[in-house]
Amino acid sequence: MTGFLVRRVAQSTLVVLGVTVITFVLTKLLPGGVARAILGVRASPQAIAEFNHENGLDLPAWQQYLYYLGQLLHGNLGFSYHLNQSVVELLQDHLPKTLILLTISTLLALAIAVPLGMLQAVRRNKLEDYFFTSLSFALYSMPPFWLALILIIIFAVNLNLLPPQGPQGAVSTYLDDPSQILGLVLPVMSLALVTIALFSRYMRSSMLDNLVQDYVRTARAKGVSTTGVLYRHVLRNALIPIVTLLGLSLPGIFSGALITEAIFNYPGMGLLFWNSSQSRDYPVLLGVTLVVAVATVVGNLLADVFYAVVDPRVRVTE
Amino acid sequence: MRIHDLRAVTILPLMALVLAACGTGTTGANKLAGGTATFAELPAATPSYILPMTSCKYFSVTNLSQFIELMYRPLYWFGQNGQVKLNSDLSLASDPVYSDGGKTVTMKLKNWKWSDGAPITSRDVQFWMNLYKANLGGYCGYTPKYFPDNVTSMSYPDPQTVVFSLDKAYGSYWFTYNELSQITPMPQHAWDKTSDSSPVGDYDMDPKTAVDVYKYLDGQSKTLGTFATNPLWQVVSGPWKLKSFSTEGAVAMIPNPGYSGPVKPTIAEFDLQPYTTGTAEFNVLHSGGIDLGYIPTESVSQKDSLTKYTFQPWIGWQFVYFQENFNNAINGAIYKQLYFRQAMQHLVDQTTWISQIFKGYAVPTYGPVPIQPASQFVSPGERNNPYPYDPAAAIKLLTDNGWTVKPGGVSTCSNPGTGTGQCGAGIASGQKASFKLEYASGTIAVTQEMEALKTAFSKAGLELNLSENPFNTVIGDAFGGTTTADMDNWGGGWIYAPDYMPTGESLFSTGAGSNGGAYSDSKMDDLITATTTSNDVQALYAYEDYNAQQLPVIFIPSADAALTMAKKTLHGWDPQDPLLQIYPENWYFTSS
Amino acid sequence: MSVGGRAGDFTGPLADLSAEAEGGEAKVSGSAWKLAAYVFLENRLAVAGLGIVVFMFLFCFVGPLVYHTDQINTDIANLTVAPSSAHLLGTDNVGYDVLGRLMIGGQTSLEIGVIAALLATTFGVLWGAVAGFVGGWVDQLMMRVVDSLLAIPTLFLLLVLAAMFVPTLPMLIFIVALVAWLVPARLIRGETLSLRSREYVDAVRVMGGSDLRIVLGHIIPNTVGTIMVNATFQVADAILAIAALSFLGLGVPPPATNWGAMLSDGVSYTYAGYWWLIYPAGLLIVITVVAFNLIGDAMRDAFEVRLQRR
Repeated sequence: MTGFLVRRVAQSTLVVLGVTVITFVLTKLLPGGVARAILGVRASPQAIAEFNHENGLDLPAWQQYLYYLGQLLHGNLGFSYHLNQSVVELLQDHLPKTLILLTISTLLALAIAVPLGMLQAVRRNKLEDYFFTSLSFALYSMPPFWLALILIIIFAVNLNLLPPQGPQGAVSTYLDDPSQILGLVLPVMSLALVTIALFSRYMRSSMLDNLVQDYVRTARAKGVSTTGVLYRHVLRNALIPIVTLLGLSLPGIFSGALITEAIFNYPGMGLLFWNSSQSRDYPVLLGVTLVVAVATVVGNLLADVFYAVVDPRVRVTE
Repeated sequence: MRIHDLRAVTILPLMALVLAACGTGTTGANKLAGGTATFAELPAATPSYILPMTSCKYFSVTNLSQFIELMYRPLYWFGQNGQVKLNSDLSLASDPVYSDGGKTVTMKLKNWKWSDGAPITSRDVQFWMNLYKANLGGYCGYTPKYFPDNVTSMSYPDPQTVVFSLDKAYGSYWFTYNELSQITPMPQHAWDKTSDSSPVGDYDMDPKTAVDVYKYLDGQSKTLGTFATNPLWQVVSGPWKLKSFSTEGAVAMIPNPGYSGPVKPTIAEFDLQPYTTGTAEFNVLHSGGIDLGYIPTESVSQKDSLTKYTFQPWIGWQFVYFQENFNNAINGAIYKQLYFRQAMQHLVDQTTWISQIFKGYAVPTYGPVPIQPASQFVSPGERNNPYPYDPAAAIKLLTDNGWTVKPGGVSTCSNPGTGTGQCGAGIASGQKASFKLEYASGTIAVTQEMEALKTAFSKAGLELNLSENPFNTVIGDAFGGTTTADMDNWGGGWIYAPDYMPTGESLFSTGAGSNGGAYSDSKMDDLITATTTSNDVQALYAYEDYNAQQLPVIFIPSADAALTMAKKTLHGWDPQDPLLQIYPENWYFTSS
Repeated sequence: MSVGGRAGDFTGPLADLSAEAEGGEAKVSGSAWKLAAYVFLENRLAVAGLGIVVFMFLFCFVGPLVYHTDQINTDIANLTVAPSSAHLLGTDNVGYDVLGRLMIGGQTSLEIGVIAALLATTFGVLWGAVAGFVGGWVDQLMMRVVDSLLAIPTLFLLLVLAAMFVPTLPMLIFIVALVAWLVPARLIRGETLSLRSREYVDAVRVMGGSDLRIVLGHIIPNTVGTIMVNATFQVADAILAIAALSFLGLGVPPPATNWGAMLSDGVSYTYAGYWWLIYPAGLLIVITVVAFNLIGDAMRDAFEVRLQRR
């Protein structure tokens, strides 16, 4: 187990380094370079040369990369010249909102998708299965911005039940004001619906895989009731890959948050990212990208470790 | 001139005394004190700067008219009762007095107070002037040779009095409307420092340290995260002060109890709300979450279905155009030909655009002076379109001047040279009429216009290659001074502020800062100069007519600044200010 | 690759997470092909999916030959006209016939989807096969590159790239492919790992076959099932990715268009009630994406011997 852990952590570290190389290369690809991005198109060549010198941008690329890495290690993710604020400070404001949105919607999705997937597996090729399968396909195939807008039109505009936008205050004020909590409902819903579609499909297929395993037949042969087999054995084994699925889903969930926050005007990290893309605020774009990528790597690592703990076979492979 | 933000602007004013009087007459019985009024910012137009001395990057309606000016009142306030005029009631000084044949101007401050109780004095005006002169790039209103270069000496004989001597006799009307209008007194007793820890001193008096003061204030003013907590910004002269501010542009303001002006706020809080798109805003408006917002043009047919709101288009003191870059390495020579500019203008179908794209909520543009709101500045000649939509006329102009026109294809110059009937200087044989036009993304109407233009241009064989970029990118290219930029449309045109008299010195005179297309014409320069020295409106008319005929830019319809939707329980916002300033201190709610 | 709202940067709703670990029985012999075709065709949904895709291609590429509309010149005097006999699905906000526009836009959507999927698959397969075949530190390095790129959520990377480079059609195809090649690379590398230890690979080597020949002639053909399944999902995902980018303001510039751009423009007219600007484009996206996913699912079933037994 220790060997597995060490190997996995080393691998993840390499991947994180890889991500920093990518973001670094992206800064090099900026039209006109970092200096022009920050000083603006009207900056004089002298001003750009000066800026490059001050920031070590006239050094060889590998030295610049080491400098960049050093900055990252000191917790410096960059500085938004548009908002005149460090990216870290911006994230302190925005990240919690995104995390709340993602946590609630993912937990909700799991809570619904797992039983739904089971139901579909047990009732395979029956009416319920067809119904939910079609629904999953439709939800999955729908551009998420359209889905979100349809939810708004139905629940906020026509029925007038829920606010059409996410809570605007700081996270700490959510509980003070019930309308802010209500504001979370639609964003959570639009994010969760797509996740449910995906998770339930996966759960269904994972259950089906396990249903045909030998141990199930053995258990049945031994006279364990169908329900008993289902819950005691199949569910447990079918749930294990869900953890991996969660880890692997992280990037997709972050992408979903980007669209959802933009539609619901919810000032989290996704909206920050979108606004920054509009203002071409590259330090924020790259800083957020890095954070999201590292979160993904860590999430995958945790999922793998968990997997290894519950399923010892995994440690041997690879 | 203030760059009009993409979709520009928003809200309302009203002049208090008059309106409040009307209001109380009819609804006085249930006028409520307090309440929070929410105002919708236009998409992608969120406040990002707080220092009144605003550089070009931040010089927008969003930052100034709808944010900074609520807290920092200019020396002279323009806008009254829905008209573009000097508002003596809201100004910090009484009307300027010109003497010495127009070469000296004297201003008397009114003894109003800063929010911390200190009086607003001539020292605060001096503070502004010192920082302005020491940091000429710091304030976007600056045009070389004009204010403050045209002020030869300034004196501040007592705390109430400011005296300027000018380098020559100017038209008093012009000087007040376009030069004195730039001044915003700033609290010297709180801001005259070079760092957080430095004591307040007289650093502005020495141009060298005045640079440091500006740098310090500018830096603080870019730090959005601290706007609401920075003690600097708690000292205000206007009716409002900041309560909170988010980097997304969500703003909450509360009344400044020490405001000396004639109308104190009735509502308890004024909020500015940012929205990513017009649709997002309209979703919220639909559910009643906005007191003063707008209806996107795409949805305007629904205006009557929102029974809780009153609809009123908001027409700005603005005109809309897009520019050609006369310095473009390839097409610059083409743009320099009047006949070619005329041909292009003949291909702009303003009438149809207005009725179809803007559903009637736009004003045609025939020259540099807005036809609406009605003013005495519009010359009789500018009320008519000298170049109405007429592809045949455009084709004739081209063929008469040496071009082989290929409708639907790309026309080429077949008779180069500078003689009569030839293409003109710098245009080679076989040169193609092919142009790049970059426009601001995010506004459907702008995309519609540009697509329609592409089709219209092709009727005379002018090829238009469109590209879409965010507002800031387009502005950067438009004013980048390069030879690669071609045509640029940032989608908002210009609003005349703080050069309230539309004389165009910072827009169309040779080398002017906002003359992004590098247009240059000596007769235009002379006519502009004439407008600044004469109080005779004929000088303005002469400039205007010549401009409309010469087409330094391509004129397109000026969309209404916003299609305002105001809650019926909200009062005091009407009439809306053509300068797009808002006056929430005049607002109040009624119970029904 | 995946797109906003989607959970999972893996392909298709049913992607096999354990492909890497399980990948690779050498399952495609001649009779296996027939069996696969049989299983596929037996799946009625898959046949329906195939039918839909064929229809969509005909609609987009042959349709304009039958249904003539002017998609070059705007007609600004006839904006957002409701459906009529002159315009079967009305006109859009610059006067283009919507039905004709759906054909043109569909061409772009399908072209981006197919070309990006081809590019991504080709590159990803080569990358994965080389990594898996060579093994050792080269494999480690190559796969860490893949992992690093995979760690960045698709939409974030797309948005950064689209913000940096003016989006043109080739550029969009390129950046979509840039994020899409990762999953096939991973899958194929897994299959290659297990394939290269097979006896017949040794046999080829003994007979003097070069490494290149082994990879191209033996390993890749044996992974063709995985490749095809994955490529199918990628077309679907690319169509959604372009829609998301269009919504975020980074689509192809006009007068070019795609279904996603039509839908994201159209939803602005939700309140105005111009349904013909919204539902046709939206439904075409959903139906096409569902169809590709159905095909992908069925193909996987067809190639998966183990599943067939079920």
